[in-house]
Amino acid sequence: MFKLMRLEMRKFRIGTYIRAAVIANVVILALVCAISLNEEITQDVPFTSYGMAFSVIDTLVRGTYVVFAAVLLSRLVIDEFRSKSITVLFMYPINRKKLIAAKLLVVALFTLAADIAANLFIGAGFLLFNQFTDIIAEPITGAIAAHSLFVTVMSALATSLLGLIPLYIGMRNYSGAATVASSFFVVALVCQTADGFTLYSIIAVPIGLALLGAAVAYMSIRNIEHIDVLK
Amino acid sequence: MSVVRTKQLTRVYKGKEVVSNVNMNVGQGEIYGMLGPNGAGKTTVMKMLTNLIKPTAGEIELFGERLTDTSYRQLGRMGTIIENPIFYDKLTARDNLELHCEYLGYPNKMAIDEALELVNLRKVDGKLVKEFSLGMKQRLGIARAITAKPELLILDEPINGLDPLGMKELRDLFKMLSKQYGITIIISSHMLGEIELIADTIAVMNDGKLLQEVSMDHIAKQTSEYIEITTGECSKAAYVLENHLHISNVRVTDEGQIRIYDCPIPQSELMKALVLHDVAIEAVHKKKGSLEDYFLSIVNGGVVVV
Repeated sequence: MFKLMRLEMRKFRIGTYIRAAVIANVVILALVCAISLNEEITQDVPFTSYGMAFSVIDTLVRGTYVVFAAVLLSRLVIDEFRSKSITVLFMYPINRKKLIAAKLLVVALFTLAADIAANLFIGAGFLLFNQFTDIIAEPITGAIAAHSLFVTVMSALATSLLGLIPLYIGMRNYSGAATVASSFFVVALVCQTADGFTLYSIIAVPIGLALLGAAVAYMSIRNIEHIDVLK
Repeated sequence: MSVVRTKQLTRVYKGKEVVSNVNMNVGQGEIYGMLGPNGAGKTTVMKMLTNLIKPTAGEIELFGERLTDTSYRQLGRMGTIIENPIFYDKLTARDNLELHCEYLGYPNKMAIDEALELVNLRKVDGKLVKEFSLGMKQRLGIARAITAKPELLILDEPINGLDPLGMKELRDLFKMLSKQYGITIIISSHMLGEIELIADTIAVMNDGKLLQEVSMDHIAKQTSEYIEITTGECSKAAYVLENHLHISNVRVTDEGQIRIYDCPIPQSELMKALVLHDVAIEAVHKKKGSLEDYFLSIVNGGVVVV
């Protein structure tokens, strides 16, 4: 399985996506810093504690990587069906379920790792920024850091799975555009806030969506051996 | 031993039988040419042989074992091009072949050079596939199919998009692979001339049905020499030939020509007899039947036996 994943990453030049992710992180960091400065001026509240700041960062990162996951799905899975190169892949003496599972694992693990890395990078960047600007007055303690890290990892786990939901839409007619477009709906669902309340903070929502993502992944490989690949 | 055998292979698509009760028998080491017009069902059969689509009825045996949905091992013994050769366009030709070997678990990297050399693409192996012409992609597809030295090659219209010289090179390559390495090759085409030049056995398909599976040796006998007489009085001429000269191997074509196979008497005597019976003759030719005639006679029933 590891070899299949390695081949997928080689085939689709994963390096390009890592570079894109780094750029996205820098942009998010700049955005967070800009917002926090603006908040200081307006005295509107989101950046009053580290907990809130990290939550804003996590939301932005989540939104970004759900779309990122959809782009990866569209390249690794949908494009293979659309360009018919999947026929080449399915003529190898390798279990088809494994081939598709390897692709989905690459997407999910990339999302998981990128989500955590982005949170750490942007969080650290913001902490540094805060040293100079003192937007958040409270000191950063071990407890705050540990709690934030725990929340980030849990959230990233959920994101990595719910990022697979757009696959369901994309596979309907092998459309990469539909995959990415549907990811915006997922983002709208998991990243919205209204007066500081987010749907995502109800624990059942991320868990439910993560299970839905896992179900979509399972559905896509369940019958793959028995269907006509392309008519 | 049969490398490929199908029994009553049938595929229904949208209520129509696109492949209907096909019984194929492909022997070890032979070049098996599938011949038929577009839409005859050749590609569908090939897709079923490679497990890309599933038969509605009937069964397939590959290398003596029944092909099932999970027959992955058998796939590893084949090299294929189905429809147009498909590659990862943003990678180079060599990258594509390296990936192919990795997926097959084929360790010999030298084989990539050999395969590229055989199809004359050695010099452009570092080029991205998206910059390739259709002909080059066809060649690269063949290179990929033969890299890992498969036992069976399934090639769907592999000579499409090639110039005449390229066609000849590939023809020689297929013959070499068959003779030297004992690779069994199933090749489809709608170009009679090409199939005629390489196949050992020909399967004629039309409208989803396998009309005939016949060896080239047999066809060679069938398409022997004949005398063709063009006349406006076909039935009169046929009557004379049959009743006065006692020649039975006579056919009348749709175009109003008479063909006499295995003529037992000299051509001059034939002419004399016809003229004496007042048959107006426009032209007489001595001809050798081609596969085209044979093919048309099977597909369209274009030749009528008197």
